[in-house]
Amino acid sequence: MDNEKRPLRIALTKGRLEKDTVGLLEKIGYDCTAVREKGRKLILPVGDSIEVVLAKAADVITYVEHGVCDMGVVGKDTIMEMSGKFFELVDLGFGRCKFALAGKKGVDFYQGYGVKTIATKYPNVSRSFFEKKGMDVDIVKIEGSVELAPLLNLSDAIVDIVETGTTLKENGLEVFEDIAPISARLIVNTVSLKLRQNEIENLIKLIEENL
Amino acid sequence: MNRYDLITPEGTSDLLFEDCAMRRSLEEKLSGIFKSKGYCEIVTPGLEFFDVFNLNSRYFPQESMYKLSDNKGRLLVVRPDSTMPIARVAATRLRDAELPLRLYYRQNVYRNKPVMRGRSDEIHQMGIELIGSDSKRADLEVISSAIEVLASFENEDFRFELGDIGFFRELVNKLDADTAAKEEIRSLIEVKNYPALNDLLDSIGDNDVTKALKQLPRLFGGEEVFDKAAELYNDEKIGSVISGLRDLYNRLIELGYGGKITIDLGIVNKLDYYTGVVMKGYLQGYGDAVLSGGRYNKLLAEFGYDVPATGFAVNVDAVAKVMKQSHTYSAPVPDVIVYGADGFVMEAIKYANDLRGKGLVVENSVFDSYDETKAYAAKKGIARTVHIAETVTEENINGGRLNG
Repeated sequence: MDNEKRPLRIALTKGRLEKDTVGLLEKIGYDCTAVREKGRKLILPVGDSIEVVLAKAADVITYVEHGVCDMGVVGKDTIMEMSGKFFELVDLGFGRCKFALAGKKGVDFYQGYGVKTIATKYPNVSRSFFEKKGMDVDIVKIEGSVELAPLLNLSDAIVDIVETGTTLKENGLEVFEDIAPISARLIVNTVSLKLRQNEIENLIKLIEENL
Repeated sequence: MNRYDLITPEGTSDLLFEDCAMRRSLEEKLSGIFKSKGYCEIVTPGLEFFDVFNLNSRYFPQESMYKLSDNKGRLLVVRPDSTMPIARVAATRLRDAELPLRLYYRQNVYRNKPVMRGRSDEIHQMGIELIGSDSKRADLEVISSAIEVLASFENEDFRFELGDIGFFRELVNKLDADTAAKEEIRSLIEVKNYPALNDLLDSIGDNDVTKALKQLPRLFGGEEVFDKAAELYNDEKIGSVISGLRDLYNRLIELGYGGKITIDLGIVNKLDYYTGVVMKGYLQGYGDAVLSGGRYNKLLAEFGYDVPATGFAVNVDAVAKVMKQSHTYSAPVPDVIVYGADGFVMEAIKYANDLRGKGLVVENSVFDSYDETKAYAAKKGIARTVHIAETVTEENINGGRLNG
């Protein structure tokens, strides 16, 4: 099959993770001009042996899971929310932040017997967090600024990504509890790792040396 | 109002001509291989009691099964797996049969998957089970059959992977940690999450066992894996796991499969009932294993019949999908269409039967005129039309060439 000749295909999460990954690839010595000057193109060559695909975070997982991309760079937040079947080989260390439970400053979240309402963009992460605590909560999925929900009294708290905490502070909110640390991960399709072991292992070695 | 009368449920699809032909030809190929080795087909019901799939050695998450209840209110599931029902049959109706049992199956399994992920809920599987032998010969038989199956797909870039769950089990049993921590270790090895695995094992301790477990997800590749594994940790049990696997590996090389076989000692799937050698088969062009199996020596005991067993299953749909990329398969077109004019219908039927007797595929025209018959044949690509009246007229259309 012509796949022998196909370059190793890496899906990158558009935006900050993309920039950090390109920086990393350049540090290793790959020519990323095509990615830097991409225009509207979505599949871009990096040297002769790699091809970069730009996608939304959740799609990176989908492409890697189906094996149409061999590897992907995606945040741990998306991995936790989506789950899926792939190898999670390297913690790239950039894109660091955390999942946290937050709400109005000074409120005792765990007080009382009423069922709490949680607003979040990450319903699966929220559900499994409260399942582990044996707590029954109502989850409301919000698409935009989740911080609004407790301010408008839609929810008792939010589960969201917290980077610096500035947005929380400016809106009179605070972190009640950390849920999990987040950073960018290098994921690999389970079949690609076996069929293209040498290429992938060599690349990972270079990446780890340059982190 | 939503209407669902024109579509199939999420995760299912209709299989039309080419797809059916592809599936059937794969089925024939595989059942040919299985039968030639003395395996007998069995069919288990599509509905089973929930309890069959809720065992200690393998459990299916509730949400992954399609459930319904029978007229007594008992919980049923639509079969999510074939090995467990076959174990049930072996432990009951086949209990007095001479061992080993060689069984094969071709049937669908149903798994409720997350929607919109592009994977089917209905999976056509074929596989074999060799029940009642714990010998290396049985392992070799099943494993070499699995490779033979993979090779029969004529996809040059196939890969067969061998592992042994015993390596992980022996190591983790030596570890001073609670069940939850052990399960965490297993899940991190499964996804080859090196960094998190290192952190977790560092917190448990720094000894030979944690050092070996840290390396476990990296223990995949060619023959060199055996030496690496032996260097990492060696005692009697682990030594025998490795030497057993190496032995199998060498025999497969002898059979001429060098370059197609890899080793991965980090195959430690949670949901599996496997107790020893495990195997997976990959084809270039499909992002998941198309074949998987292994030894399961504890499963039948849960049905009250304590005998060892081994086997594998092939995802026929996945293989068909890969093969469709390189093979063009077209729906069969009849060779001839026969039209009998008014008063000659019986003659036409007889004529058609004569042609069929010569091995041709012959359609009987149900149109009211020969012109309509010809127009239809032209559209459908049928090469030859026959008009039966006082005289018999044959015409070749569509530039077709005949073999009859």
